[in-house]
Amino acid sequence: MNKLTLGHKASSSRVSQWVAPSFIDLSDDDIVPVYGKKRGGKTHHTSRCEVKMPRKRKAESLSSHLLKESVLRDQDQPWVDRYSPRSQGDLAVHKKKIEEVENWLQAHSNSAKGRILLLTGPSGCGKTATVRVLSLELKLRIQEWTNPSNLEPFSSQMDQWTHGFSSISQLTQFQEFLLRANKYNCLRMTCDEGGGATDRKLILVEDFPNQFYRQPSTLHDILRRFVKTSRCPLVFIVSDSLSGDSSSRLLFPKDIQEELSISNISFNPVAPTTMKKVLTCISTQEAAKSCGKLSALDQAALEMLCSGSSGDIRSAINSLQFSCSSDTSLEKDLWRTTKDRAVPSVSRTVVSRTNRRKPKSGHSKEQSGEQAIGGKDAALFLFRALGKILHCKRGSSEGVAAGEGPSGADLPSHLLCHHREPLQMDPELVVERSHMSGEFFNLYLHQNYLDFFSELEDVDRASGYLSDADLLTADWTSRSTLADYGSSVATRGLLHSNSQQVSVGFRPLHKPHWLLVSKKYRENCSAAQSMFRSFCLTPVTLQTELLPYLAKLTNPMRNQAQITFIQDVGQMPLRKRPGRLKLETLADKEPALLETDTDDEEEEDKEREKHLDGTEEEMPASQPQPNTNQVLLENADLLIEEYMSD
Amino acid sequence: MQAFLKGATVQTSRSQKDKTPSGPSTEKKARAVPWVEKYRPKCVDEVAFQEEVVAVLKKSLEGADLPNLLFYGPPGTGKTSTILAAARELYGPELYKQRVLELNASDERGIQVVREKVKNFAQLTAAGTRQDGKPCPPFKIIILDEADSMTAPAQAALRRTMEKESRTTRFCLICNYISRIIEPLTSRCSKFRFKPLANQIQEKRLLDICEKENLKYSKESIAALVQVSEGDLRKAITFLQSAARLNVEKEISERVVIEIAGVVPSKMVHDLLQICFKGTFEKLEVAVRDLVDEGFAATQVLSQLHDSIIESDLNDKQKSVITEKMAVVDKCLADGADEYLQLLSLCSVVMQQASHN
Amino acid sequence: MKHAGQTAEEAFKEGFCVFAFGTFDPSRLPYLNRKWCSGKAGRCGVVFPREKKKSFSCQQQLNTYKTMSLWVDKYRPTSLGKLDYHKEQATQMKNLVQCGDFPHLLVYGPSGAGKKTRIMCLLRELYGAGVEKLRIDHQTIVAPSKKKIEISTIASNYHLEVNASDAGNQDRVVIQELIKTVAQSQQVQASAQRDFKTVLLTDVDRLTKDAQHALRRTMEKYMSTCRLILCSTSTSKVIGPIRSRCLAVRIPLPSTEEVCSVLTSVCKKEGLLLPPELAKQISDKSGRNLRKALLMCEACRVQQYPFSVDQDVPETDWEVYLRETANAIVSQQTPQRLLEVRSRLYELLTHCIPPDIIMKGLVKELLDNCDGQLKAEVSHMAAYYEHRLQLGNKAIYHLEAFTAKFMAIYKKFMEDGLDAMMF
Repeated sequence: MNKLTLGHKASSSRVSQWVAPSFIDLSDDDIVPVYGKKRGGKTHHTSRCEVKMPRKRKAESLSSHLLKESVLRDQDQPWVDRYSPRSQGDLAVHKKKIEEVENWLQAHSNSAKGRILLLTGPSGCGKTATVRVLSLELKLRIQEWTNPSNLEPFSSQMDQWTHGFSSISQLTQFQEFLLRANKYNCLRMTCDEGGGATDRKLILVEDFPNQFYRQPSTLHDILRRFVKTSRCPLVFIVSDSLSGDSSSRLLFPKDIQEELSISNISFNPVAPTTMKKVLTCISTQEAAKSCGKLSALDQAALEMLCSGSSGDIRSAINSLQFSCSSDTSLEKDLWRTTKDRAVPSVSRTVVSRTNRRKPKSGHSKEQSGEQAIGGKDAALFLFRALGKILHCKRGSSEGVAAGEGPSGADLPSHLLCHHREPLQMDPELVVERSHMSGEFFNLYLHQNYLDFFSELEDVDRASGYLSDADLLTADWTSRSTLADYGSSVATRGLLHSNSQQVSVGFRPLHKPHWLLVSKKYRENCSAAQSMFRSFCLTPVTLQTELLPYLAKLTNPMRNQAQITFIQDVGQMPLRKRPGRLKLETLADKEPALLETDTDDEEEEDKEREKHLDGTEEEMPASQPQPNTNQVLLENADLLIEEYMSD
Repeated sequence: MQAFLKGATVQTSRSQKDKTPSGPSTEKKARAVPWVEKYRPKCVDEVAFQEEVVAVLKKSLEGADLPNLLFYGPPGTGKTSTILAAARELYGPELYKQRVLELNASDERGIQVVREKVKNFAQLTAAGTRQDGKPCPPFKIIILDEADSMTAPAQAALRRTMEKESRTTRFCLICNYISRIIEPLTSRCSKFRFKPLANQIQEKRLLDICEKENLKYSKESIAALVQVSEGDLRKAITFLQSAARLNVEKEISERVVIEIAGVVPSKMVHDLLQICFKGTFEKLEVAVRDLVDEGFAATQVLSQLHDSIIESDLNDKQKSVITEKMAVVDKCLADGADEYLQLLSLCSVVMQQASHN
Repeated sequence: MKHAGQTAEEAFKEGFCVFAFGTFDPSRLPYLNRKWCSGKAGRCGVVFPREKKKSFSCQQQLNTYKTMSLWVDKYRPTSLGKLDYHKEQATQMKNLVQCGDFPHLLVYGPSGAGKKTRIMCLLRELYGAGVEKLRIDHQTIVAPSKKKIEISTIASNYHLEVNASDAGNQDRVVIQELIKTVAQSQQVQASAQRDFKTVLLTDVDRLTKDAQHALRRTMEKYMSTCRLILCSTSTSKVIGPIRSRCLAVRIPLPSTEEVCSVLTSVCKKEGLLLPPELAKQISDKSGRNLRKALLMCEACRVQQYPFSVDQDVPETDWEVYLRETANAIVSQQTPQRLLEVRSRLYELLTHCIPPDIIMKGLVKELLDNCDGQLKAEVSHMAAYYEHRLQLGNKAIYHLEAFTAKFMAIYKKFMEDGLDAMMF
């Protein structure tokens, strides 16, 4: 392979060198015997070179640094692989995290009982690298599960088509894999392999058979069996994703984690300083190596790369390689000045990946050139997105002194009260990145905005804007067009109305209560109508007149179901401040559970779905307890229980 | 002055609807005939409406060609009656069914209907003589009632058909608002505007009917009928019939008429305005509450208030502020907003304006 | 005797006769003697076997039943002649029935004026006592889009009552299908006095425009076999073409005096003595809504008997709750208070109080709490946000915006007032 690419190199330009070898590498599959299986499944959104990265690393770990100095080979390798960490010191992960993982591995690799470790964190934060480096140091052999490649090689997680036999066979294969990985060890013991160091091993699972995403319970069953019989540690690596399907929570819900005593270590995005250190190191090494053909990027450029990658070191290194190599084949100043133009000429694939990426909102326009190369789609967790809007970060007062003079002076005196410093972010972008429909985002805003306002007048205007936004999206025929405007009005309205820029410190955010309330309202109304149908009243009269008065009358002729309902709905908890309803706090990295939908009914269904999972206990506990006669009215009870269990 | 009617028969105008459905029941039982049908004009001579229309129609009766027609104007001014009477006279009772296609339901006229029904009908050729040997025009008439509720694509589809079949077919489009007809269609038709009927003509017709039906009535009641119907003769006749049904053997009084029309008694409106001009907000609340409790429709109150405000001696600026608010309130009411709150809001504007004096 | 737990269909299969009945009305007792069940199509209630002799136990049930039914239902007039107020209108209706030429009717008036009572009297006048044999049916209508719509209707042999707005956006289909079915089915008894059936549509003002247009067409089409009685609170939301096809009958609320006299006579029939002062107080509080007045009166009875002149007329919980909410708004104007108010609004909503009613109630209470110029301003805002409430999707935005607006205005007003006092 190396020779092949070497010859290739001589004739082709640098750009093609960088792209082409990675395809040739694919033939590796046949050569690397045990670990060389291609990764399928989960590598969505990752580029080609990332796909093959783990394999390369494995190969390296096997051949024990032999290739480290091999320049020939290195030339063809993406820098990500070439500079993949080989010792703890190389890892761009916080020391404490490494320690944590190391401790776990040490503690459990020797124990006869297999334990399970779950590593979570955003992609490219060094989860896999950490495990590999540590296992190397601890002399653990890694046995990795990969989704069988003879099936659909690039089937995405959510792919429905692979449902047929493939998923089942994947499932059984996975099960067999776990069992064999277990037993294999035993066989080794008896065989001649002998070396006490290598017989210890570690099972690594980064890919999950698709079936598990549909039915996490199957995974749980397998794990339960595994825990009973296993002898070696099992490590799962799950990337946090923003698109709403939080696989770690789906696959490993809290109760399972507790039941199987799964340890969970969560990684953070790579800190910018650490990343910069790594990047600087790489770029100087490369510059030295290439004998002036490559020049080290200056500090500012590196910084931009760091910020653009939003903590994903893999993508940062890729961008670095790209920027450096492009530097040599193109005019240097072209790169500096008109980066946007430079990019298309270099590589189409990269452009398509990068050109829609935007800089992180904290940074302003001058970086828009860099984003074309280094940018990573910095999607935001809902929590952060809300925070951005609600905390309302504006330009500092120095900015006022320097650049803003005209904008303040522009306003006539009676409008001066409406003057605001320039925003530090783009609200539309924040909403877009939150991966939520504007409508739901507005609900979240509405739930939380009051905590961030101190002046009533501001609240007045803010609530007015929210009302406007709802009005804009009211008509379903025009909703698709106006939805964006609605969220703009709401977010910008909120931002503008918050005139006192006080820092409120940390405030917990909550999930919108309205969904629950409106669902309950609908349910109660329809229940009332069906239960008291015989009164022949219109819904409004029934709910506002008859039911409340029935609650006041001791009228035993109605059946139990009705009595319960009357007690439930007709009476209000008087003379008692309900206080703030117990709310579900929005966790830090929780993805938005609510998806965008346009269709009303679908929306309702989803809302219902969402709230079926037990979020409903927050209803005020003020409702009277039912005293239903179970024997008499089974059916009616069932009917009622739906409402009581809420 | 335009004489609305010449003959003894009544000109009623059912620009739309009830005609077909009430047909079957009419045949079965004589008593169930709505008076609007009973007193509909039978021939063009009886319809002596605006000179232009009548002149054009008469010419075509005498053998001249008929242009495509577009009748527009407020409801109850005789648009449908005119064309129906003309068609009847042109073709006589036998041929009428073959030669005239009447489409009048807004929900039956998607683009599909225009494409198929109208086309199929238009493609049939028509002979120049009747079965009884009398000459008749060699074309058919398609009457599209309530054309303004046709969708724009359907109207667009119509325009091609209109040109293609101009040899054998004449179209008569009837609508309330000409602005809702697409330009290419209006340019292909001769337009005739039907004006609201003058009070005297209405009164004459109503008195006529009263006599024929042997009703007891007071002069005031007829005057009230004319007033509440606002130039819509169909409405007036319907009200008259309802009043007659409710008061068998009794004199039809003004009060009954007003009640049937759902009109707010002028005294209540007057009182409300007086409170707006002189009273306190608390009194206003009570008055508006009463008005709503009496079951009067807010839209009705609004239109009557509008009339009173226009006639009141507020200055122009005040009036314009109030009427602007009225427009807003009307829109809100149409959207289904609460009547009490809207009226209260309107009246408080009136109050504010009045106090600015 | 079977208890609930058995659905109507099951019961029917097993050979039981399932019947439900309409309002709890003593005059229907003879009929009830036979078999009855109530509630949602036999989900709850009692079903009697068809063959079994319904004797003692059944009769006993019904006796308790009679004493237990609400005054509103118990003393509901059943014929045009027995109506307590608007007697002249009743005579006119009699005339209408007698003249044979029965038009479509549009009955409108505020809630609690007795529209429904009057319509039932009219139907009785038209068809005789047969209209009081009511049954509740659940019909499934398949829309052209293959979507199934479930709707429940109340019907006798002569008429069918339906609230088509229950079907939401599909109300057009429901109306067309139901009326078609009714119009096409023949009159059961040949001896019936009328050759048409009646469809009673309630809550017409809540119908979509689409449905109303369909109605106008349907109305004409089946005029020969079917009459419509439309029942609505106001004609504002009924489209013109429908209004012009119907004889509109306005039913105002009874006057305070009329409410008093009805209350007194009902109490008399119950063998109770109602002091005129209390009657006056109740009728004032009920806002001339007779149904509410009777419910209040009955609640008074439960609260305390013999009545005392100065006893508190019980209000519904939600009204009291709403007043407390208004007080909370007036007493303090801060974002935190707004948050509290929001949770109170949520509480009201979960107790089935429709948002527009909340808005109206809130406005009323708030108007009572402020004065003069402020009132006008509040009424403008109320009208503004109530309108948005009707248009919008999520009521809470508009309720809250109104509250915030009021707080802001009120706060400013109070501060200005304070300033004025100081200088």
